[in-house]
Amino acid sequence: MTLSREASYRFLPSVDRLESAMRAARHALAQGDLAGALRENDIAIQLKPEYDAAWLLRGHIFRKDGNIPGAIEAFAAALKRNGESEEGWLGLASALHEVGRFKEEVEAYDRLLELHPRSIEAWIDKGAVLHDQGDYRGAIACYDKVLEMRPEHVGAWNNKGAALLRLGEGAAAARCIEEALQLNPDFYDALANRALLARDAEHPGETVIWAERALRIREASWLWIVKGHSHLALGESTLAMKAFERALALEPRSRPAQSGFEKAKAQRAKSDFYRGVYECFGTYLAGDPGCAECEIRAQCTQVTP
Amino acid sequence: MSGPSLAEVEHADWPSLQQMCSDLGLNPKGRSAIVRMRVADHVRRRSPAPSWRPAREHQAALLLRLNHPDLAVRVWESTIHLDAPAPWVGLGYAQVSSGLFPEAAKSFSRATAMGDPSGNLHRAEALVAGGNFDGAAQAFDRFLATRPGDLRGLLMKASFLKRAGFEEESTKVLQTAVDLHPEAQGLRRTLGRSLLRAGHPAAAADALREATRQDPTDLDAMADEGVALLVAGRTREAIDVLRETLGRDPQRADALNNLGIAYLSMGNRKSAATNLKRAAKLFESPRILLNLGKALEGTRDRAEAVRAYEQALRLRPEDPEALAGLDRLARLTKAKSAKPKKAAGKPTKTAKTTKKSARPKDDSPAPPSTEMP
Repeated sequence: MTLSREASYRFLPSVDRLESAMRAARHALAQGDLAGALRENDIAIQLKPEYDAAWLLRGHIFRKDGNIPGAIEAFAAALKRNGESEEGWLGLASALHEVGRFKEEVEAYDRLLELHPRSIEAWIDKGAVLHDQGDYRGAIACYDKVLEMRPEHVGAWNNKGAALLRLGEGAAAARCIEEALQLNPDFYDALANRALLARDAEHPGETVIWAERALRIREASWLWIVKGHSHLALGESTLAMKAFERALALEPRSRPAQSGFEKAKAQRAKSDFYRGVYECFGTYLAGDPGCAECEIRAQCTQVTP
Repeated sequence: MSGPSLAEVEHADWPSLQQMCSDLGLNPKGRSAIVRMRVADHVRRRSPAPSWRPAREHQAALLLRLNHPDLAVRVWESTIHLDAPAPWVGLGYAQVSSGLFPEAAKSFSRATAMGDPSGNLHRAEALVAGGNFDGAAQAFDRFLATRPGDLRGLLMKASFLKRAGFEEESTKVLQTAVDLHPEAQGLRRTLGRSLLRAGHPAAAADALREATRQDPTDLDAMADEGVALLVAGRTREAIDVLRETLGRDPQRADALNNLGIAYLSMGNRKSAATNLKRAAKLFESPRILLNLGKALEGTRDRAEAVRAYEQALRLRPEDPEALAGLDRLARLTKAKSAKPKKAAGKPTKTAKTTKKSARPKDDSPAPPSTEMP
């Protein structure tokens, strides 16, 4: 005997079926089978339309699929059913970020922080979006909140340093970035920011050192360009050419890399210094025992600011 | 050969850094800060990766220990599986710490439903914490029905009954525990103390003697046996046991205090005062000082009695017992100064009578303490 459609509504969905559909959807999403994930998620939502976890999962599926408006809608639906879901607010905020709706993104973080004032992720992400919008003081306030709760948070130290760098407060920025590097010497963002700090302070020797360390972790065209210009300032034409070449390999249409390469090529025709084993070239420090024994001290002192 | 530690690299002087570079096969040339960074990088990359990283469950448990129950609740919630009872137990404890007792009881019920037999025990604890004693008793009974004779369950039930004010019932549960687990260390001592609290000093003394026989190094049981005997009115036996306790550990202030009281009840004020003074020197407690004051009241050394009461008042201002003691002493001094002076060096009958009559009924020494006063 089959039940009529109306009569079938009287039954509650089976929890087993619901959970197995959710599990299958999560598994498919983890495997990258977005169509399968969406199919199973549809089943879960049909079984229990008010299930916030199913809507959250839908948001993640859409987001991974690049369907950001769909993801926003799904996260909003999840929050309609459970307005206190941290995952829901974070998902909605990140989806809004992807379509550039920064103001609404900040509002989403504010709502989440009203519910969970100790959400580190929300404070960090709110700081990042304020930073993107140019509100550096607001961003610093968010990072300070994180550092109050987690003084060892490397990302917060780095982001605070980056915001201070934008405000032109080099010394304070350097302190924050040093703190981040003390906590994690291989933190890429902090190494890159350290290189930028040295570049802004017109210390090409130091810029080369920090850029080199960052590039060992992850390559980026812009960082190779920064390194190339610093080599040029140190009179190292060949090293500068190599840096610009690498930048062009990563980003063939980069105009700064092209012009830098041309400049380095022209300079090599006139002069080219070889530093040898001295990776600290251009950072001479009077009284340092290593500098006292250095074989290229004379050239180093000439290019050290 | 093991390499240098990061701390050694951080604090190494220039020759040591050079030596490290030579040992590790690294480039020793350059500014010292750069060479140091080079060695540190090498050491960090060479050192083995940590073999263990805390999982969500570990983080949740740590958060609770670090006194962040609200965060622990959230992390435990993220570890919940449909087929694992343990996260429910963890969640329940975090909820208990957050003061969410009904929610905690529900979490423990879930753990029980998933097959964790101790779920009922945890649930009982949560219910007790929330003031639901009936529910807690039922949860204990359900647990003990599935695991009769479980020592942990029995002890928790006894503790719960004691906290709820059911001393007799608590003692019965402890007696069952002792009968079922005669080998359990310290159990007889717990039973003895419970019997003493429930007003059965003779039975308590027997249980405590058994405890000492089972473990002759258990001086706590021996000292408590002395107390039980004293309360049971077997003062001479109590004195013997307390002296034996002090023979093994002369620094026990509780035994000295109780021995002092035993002597006082025998009328031996001098010995009482001596032991109480020693107790007060070892442990400056208002209870011992009050006992000392009382013991000294009947002696000629009333000034010292006054000092003892005053010291007790410094520790516990407005203590009624100390104030009453001082008042009694002041009245005695007044009465004495009003009387005509007798010839010195001749103890008189009147003085003896005064001593006896100066000890009204409510001036009896405080009962011996089973714990440090």
